[in-house]
Amino acid sequence: MNSCQRWIPLLSPFIDGELSPSGRIELERHLAHCTVCRARVGDFRAQSGLMRVGFEMLADEPNFDQFFEKVMARVTPDRLSLWEQWRLSVSELFVYHRTAMVSSLVTASVALLIGTSLILANTRTPDGYASALWSVRKVTTVPEAHVAPVVMAADRGNTIVWLVNHRHVLDSAAGEGSRGTATPEGLDSGTSTIEKLPLKQQRPHGGEL
Amino acid sequence: MAIDDLTLVKRARGGDQRAFRLLVERYQRKVYSVALGMVKDKEEAMDVAQESFAKVYKYLQHFKGDSSFYTWLYRLTLNACIDVLRKRASRKGEHVQFDEEVQVDLSEAHIGVLGARLGTNPQKSLLRRELAEKIEEALGELPEKHRAIVLLRELEGMSYEDLAKTLQIPKGTVMSRLFHARVKLQKLLSEYAELGVNEDPSEDQ
Repeated sequence: MNSCQRWIPLLSPFIDGELSPSGRIELERHLAHCTVCRARVGDFRAQSGLMRVGFEMLADEPNFDQFFEKVMARVTPDRLSLWEQWRLSVSELFVYHRTAMVSSLVTASVALLIGTSLILANTRTPDGYASALWSVRKVTTVPEAHVAPVVMAADRGNTIVWLVNHRHVLDSAAGEGSRGTATPEGLDSGTSTIEKLPLKQQRPHGGEL
Repeated sequence: MAIDDLTLVKRARGGDQRAFRLLVERYQRKVYSVALGMVKDKEEAMDVAQESFAKVYKYLQHFKGDSSFYTWLYRLTLNACIDVLRKRASRKGEHVQFDEEVQVDLSEAHIGVLGARLGTNPQKSLLRRELAEKIEEALGELPEKHRAIVLLRELEGMSYEDLAKTLQIPKGTVMSRLFHARVKLQKLLSEYAELGVNEDPSEDQ
């Protein structure tokens, strides 16, 4: 027993693996021929395991479901500015949902690129030029044109609009000789004069849209 | 892949509550176990555990990172436990001694009882909750400083160096304090084992 006195305090660090290599070797030599100290080591190890398993069992009993929320309820966090909240949310997305964020950004970039090119490809089409039915490539005005619309109601609610070149009609009328028909007043305004011309001279012909 | 403590601490410092939640979930049971061992009351232990994490959150900016996060966490937990014990003692009009000298019983009366009765597989022996409660009772008999060191060593598996940092004591003191605590515990648990664990000895095999 007296010979064991110097070894007993080392049994605790021995089972914890905290002895120096030389100390461990000396103790193992003693344990090789001391059954009492070997029994003490067994007791320490059994007790150590008992403590660990016993407390794990006790720690399994409570419900930790709302534990974090209760912790945060004790804390009064400083209110972050809107910018800081936004910055934090974005950085959290990149940390915890990196793959989803990267693929979303790529998809959005591609969609933006396609959408931008489609928008830029479309020319500005004034209203009334049937842009819903076809793609208008060019609109040209003819400054010297003097036109009046001829509206014809077609079937199925459709409407055909012809633009009649007054100057051409007038020139044609002038070329056939005067019939005593005075130059219709308000010709340039193109409101009611078209009704005074013979039908054959009212035949519309096409022109540039 | 689990994110390491230091990374989570850095993110939590920046206001990332999700990182702080991961830290809490990682250590909540062990902190509760240590608190339970110290204060011996389940509700107070839960209260201490929550308060410890609340303090961690408040003082996260002051954590310098020169020790590991969990040693700092347990230091806060033990301080919270000591506060509870002091308040409890002052209500009862008692004075709590934290440096109680423990007489070491090196007699051979109980040697081998624990090892023989419980064997090397404590899991089998703990099928009964009663034994876990006996451990809790035995731990409660220890002075607070011995209780703390046993809990941190057995529950967290802290090295002697980490124990020294957590408890802010020299490594030599860790060694002697742990030894004394274990000897005292052994005596208490052996008495229980001798009184009868009501186990079939063949279960130890």
